[in-house]
Amino acid sequence: MNIFMQSLISGILIGGVYALIGIGLTIIFGVMRVINFAHGDLLMIGMYGTYYLFTLFNIDPFVSIIITIPLMFLYGAFLQKFFINRVLGSLPQNQILLTIGMGLVMSNAVMLAFTSDYKILSTSYSSSSFDVLGISVSSPLAISFVITAVITAALYWFLLKTDTGQAIRATAQDREAAQLMGINVKRMSIIAFGLGSALAGTAGALISPTYYIFPQVGSIFTLKAFVITVLGGMGSIVGATLGGILIGVAESIGGVYFGSGWKEVVVFVLFLLVLLFKPAGLMGKSNT
Amino acid sequence: MKPTLTNTRGISSLAAILSVVVIALLFMFPRYVQSTYALHIMILIFINIVMGSSWNILGGYTGQYSVGHSAYFGMGAYTTLILMQFRQIPPWYGVWAGMLAALIIALIIGSICFRLRGPYFVLASIAVAEIFRVSALNLKDITNGAEGILTTEIPPLTIGGTVITDFASKVPFYYTGLFFVLLVILVTWLIQHSKLGYFFQAIREDQDAAHSLGISLTIYKNTALAISAILTSLAGSLYALYVGFIDPTTVLSLELSVSIVLICIIGGIGTIFGPIIGALILVPLSEALRSNMLGQALIDSGLVSAESKFGNFLTENLAHAHVLIYGILVVVVILFMPDGVLGFFKAMAARKKKEAA
Repeated sequence: MNIFMQSLISGILIGGVYALIGIGLTIIFGVMRVINFAHGDLLMIGMYGTYYLFTLFNIDPFVSIIITIPLMFLYGAFLQKFFINRVLGSLPQNQILLTIGMGLVMSNAVMLAFTSDYKILSTSYSSSSFDVLGISVSSPLAISFVITAVITAALYWFLLKTDTGQAIRATAQDREAAQLMGINVKRMSIIAFGLGSALAGTAGALISPTYYIFPQVGSIFTLKAFVITVLGGMGSIVGATLGGILIGVAESIGGVYFGSGWKEVVVFVLFLLVLLFKPAGLMGKSNT
Repeated sequence: MKPTLTNTRGISSLAAILSVVVIALLFMFPRYVQSTYALHIMILIFINIVMGSSWNILGGYTGQYSVGHSAYFGMGAYTTLILMQFRQIPPWYGVWAGMLAALIIALIIGSICFRLRGPYFVLASIAVAEIFRVSALNLKDITNGAEGILTTEIPPLTIGGTVITDFASKVPFYYTGLFFVLLVILVTWLIQHSKLGYFFQAIREDQDAAHSLGISLTIYKNTALAISAILTSLAGSLYALYVGFIDPTTVLSLELSVSIVLICIIGGIGTIFGPIIGALILVPLSEALRSNMLGQALIDSGLVSAESKFGNFLTENLAHAHVLIYGILVVVVILFMPDGVLGFFKAMAARKKKEAA
């Protein structure tokens, strides 16, 4: 029972970061109907940024998100303006291939610049933990979970209460109607992609103290991001939040009971089952 | 405007003569070119053409974008090598077993994934291929896990006591590859010129309309996948035997699935020549990077000195980044020539013709 609780807790903590990744992907999908296959690579860039901010300037990874967030936002906005925007009207297959290609360019450019060696960002608290009711909790995971919760709350507030947030949601609901209402849809798309990549970069920064950093790390997270968003329902932000935590828990518990080598298979089987039996996702509408 | 009958006949007979000449030249190639490197490149091109053309049957003609074809490639590669290495079954029987295995998993995967459409199908196909990759990593008793399988020698092929070939040089692989290429092109041609091909293309253009006209989506999508999977496994088997080493990251990776799609996208999907052109562009480019020809050329040309930091960096790292060219190519092709190189030049020729008229 103790092992179960232990893996449940760590699953929820990791799930918070997964939720950030999923929310980013789902916002991009919601606003533009584009599935971003470069999402994990954006996260990877966030990881490298954090790593170099830490090793070169000694900035703590959890503090560095103040720098990572705006930089990744600008990077995402740039990608949207010059690449994604050109394929918005074309076949979904072409959009997918474009983002796959962009992801390949990012991961291989990083490999060229920093080699494919595994990097480890070790802070003084990387392997420290504390006890809650006899269950040991990893400190970096706990801190990252708190930050995730704050960011998610801020994001909800932004999307629900601000004018820009409402314009983004309107665009996601019906692009043409939003345009007719005078919303600058192009600008909303740029903001959406910027937000998505900022969230991915933040997630990368948050997991960098507990994860290996290497150029190909992105593809693992791209796949996880899909599983999370499909699980929650494409385009649903609440769904992505729940989906992220669900996947974190499934992975953590699956790893304990099936062995850590098989935990990804648990996730993918779960993914296929959801695709088959509830393709609109847990929170999605059935007509999609 | 439809071309007149005589016109198309004239073109196709010209094309037929050209193809016969090209095939004849390809058959004579190893006789006159002794360079093992040239043969190596040719074999890689053949394998890539087979990969691309088999994906093309499902993706190009039927419109089902599978980004999980590494599953069938890996199935062919693993079945053939496992049978040869651990069961002493010669590869020319193992290849059939690989094709059978690919067919079986294709039918299982098809029954699951074809209920999904568009992006969901793409995601499901990736997930299935990833399940195979992780399984191959974990089932160490069967697949050797991450260590992979290394073969040292292939038993000589004998028919009735006479040795046909001992696979000692690259030449037998060259002819096997060429044979597979011709086979795949023949299959594609037959499909394109049969009712089956029209059904496939009807599904690609509008599957609901096709369905309402009485074309069974389940049967024909699965047929396309089955043909595609069997031929892809053939490419996998040939690759495994030729390279002599396989592991989950080379034959079951997402990157492989993507590069299979790229061969077609770059050349132009849904055409017989698309994958051929794609392979002719991709293989030499990525080989030039892999063998560091590009970095060496920059240094030889005197633009970059070999001792400088940048020159050092180029020789050290450029070879590892040959996938970079895939990424750049796909971005450029999607943005500027969404119908592939072939489609791009066709459109350009059509425009010129229009201007001239």
